[in-house]
Amino acid sequence: MNIRKLKDAFAGRLTLAAAIFSSVLVFIVAFTLYLRSEPILEVKSLGDLLLGITWMPSQSEFGFYPFILGTVYVTALAMVFAIPLSILSAVYLAEYANERLRSIILPLVDLLAGIPPVVYGLFGVLAIVPLVAGIAPLFKNSGISLLNSGSYSTGYSILAGGIVLAIMVFPIIISISYEVFKAVPFEVREASLSLGATRWQTIKHAVIRAALPGIAAAVILGFSRAIGETMAVLMVVGNVVKIPSSIFDAAYPLPALIANNYGEMMSIPLYDSALLLAALILMLIILLSTLGARLILVRIERRMHG
Amino acid sequence: MKSHISIQNLNAFYGDHAALRDITVEIPEKQITAIIGPSGCGKSTFLKCFNRLIDLTDGARASGKIMLGDVDVLNGSVEITDVRRRMGLLPQRPNPLPMSIYDNIAYGPRLHGTKDKKKLDQIVEKYLKIAGLWDEVKDRLKSPASKLSIGQQQRLCLARGLAVEPEIILCDEPTSALDPVSSQHIEEQLLELKKDYTIVIVTHNIHQAMRLADYVIHLYLGELVEHGPAIEVLENPKEERTRAYINGTFHTDIKIDTELNLKGNVCPYNFVYAKQALHELEKGKILKVIVDDPTAVTEVPRGMEADGHEVLRARQINKTDWEIVIRKN
Repeated sequence: MNIRKLKDAFAGRLTLAAAIFSSVLVFIVAFTLYLRSEPILEVKSLGDLLLGITWMPSQSEFGFYPFILGTVYVTALAMVFAIPLSILSAVYLAEYANERLRSIILPLVDLLAGIPPVVYGLFGVLAIVPLVAGIAPLFKNSGISLLNSGSYSTGYSILAGGIVLAIMVFPIIISISYEVFKAVPFEVREASLSLGATRWQTIKHAVIRAALPGIAAAVILGFSRAIGETMAVLMVVGNVVKIPSSIFDAAYPLPALIANNYGEMMSIPLYDSALLLAALILMLIILLSTLGARLILVRIERRMHG
Repeated sequence: MKSHISIQNLNAFYGDHAALRDITVEIPEKQITAIIGPSGCGKSTFLKCFNRLIDLTDGARASGKIMLGDVDVLNGSVEITDVRRRMGLLPQRPNPLPMSIYDNIAYGPRLHGTKDKKKLDQIVEKYLKIAGLWDEVKDRLKSPASKLSIGQQQRLCLARGLAVEPEIILCDEPTSALDPVSSQHIEEQLLELKKDYTIVIVTHNIHQAMRLADYVIHLYLGELVEHGPAIEVLENPKEERTRAYINGTFHTDIKIDTELNLKGNVCPYNFVYAKQALHELEKGKILKVIVDDPTAVTEVPRGMEADGHEVLRARQINKTDWEIVIRKN
């Protein structure tokens, strides 16, 4: 009897300890990064570091602005491609496809999600980069500066990074949004159809609306995956330190900066500290964007369910 | 009696299972037609054939003719959105769309092309008034429909269905999820509405059929047993099976074997206790429970029916209490 109680008490504590450990981990990581990046923060102001555009470690110039911008561009572009593609696919799978087709497509999509990033990177180098190089001349003077390819593009570019990244995140968004659509009660469709709505009207006005919080969650998850993705992006994005002016320009996102340089040239003073600061910045960007997205989510839910 | 919907040789299947067999009957115009019969007799399937919501069930198909004027609803080339628009649907459980009260009502008119804000305002007000909900919600039209009580939600669904200006209202056990007061509310609306609409109501509640129906259709195991004016079918059925069904559900002199007082208990305890008491009874014996929790009035009978027992009676006996009479099967 006593041993049973003891086990019970022990089990309670053990699970609590595990829960605390896993939630505290994020603070431990953040704190470690902060400690190691402190040396550079003592010498330079945070504003100079974040908005500085020159990156010359040997001259003690550490401007992160190009890297931050590179990260933002590549991720944003990936989401622009991935969100419509995956939501439309999920709508098709959940609302139109028959059981047979679904049982073929869904496993394929899941398979896509399991492919290692480096393979996507290789695919990007072999297929996407030449493709981008091929279409770049068509955009020589497209009128919109963001789409201008300028005189010459190697194909290693934000566009290539965005496409590869989009391919990587859309399986995640598809499979979550598919589940979300499936979870929308049948009654919602019944209500809409019985009022004389067509199938597409029902999806557009009722089903997607009911699924909105879930879709937002799926997009957030895809976004978090995209922003931190390192290997595949690093292989196709060009890794040139400059402020990108068009999607055909090369860029140098933060994860690539860290992966390419950490462990090398550590003799340069403050270099190590700068890279850890980059990691900290990356972590904060993810944290803030996830937080922002959560807030949006709560608002959507409140608007719908009160 | 002028016919509004004419059903000819209707058959419906779920896979190989025949849910409806060769049904031919007329639905009279601007009257309330009740479809009665035990659970699983095809009542809801019958109703779903009218607006072809049956198409949404995998493996379901219907054959025969359902003539709405000169339109055959079951004809594949018919514009089904038009047909559905002509038939409002009041479901078993209220199904508000995930949007505001206002948008729920305006949903249908918007689909069919009404964009003018002023016009929509008028429509919303008009149909909320018809459904008897306007006074309760006029100050919070922008708040989510899911915030309303179940009874209010059902009236909202009624208003939403009426807002697309149908000729027919189909009701699939519209009060089965509601408390007695809200049920009464809905019944009153329906009696009022039959002046302008043809109403078809599926019900397993004989009392409700008696209160509402002008015309009755009795289905049993997918077959049409009897149909005719309510007075004839309910008071003086020609068919033995109809008589048995009506008497089975409408005992006035049931011998109660065990009585159980569950006043003061809330869900799910009253439900669990009733179940235990039934468990101890022999098959065919009859249990009477008294409850005073409004949820129990609907949930206990439903639960017992789901377990395969037969609910003979559920009625309010005084201001606070209801009695539920169940036969063990």
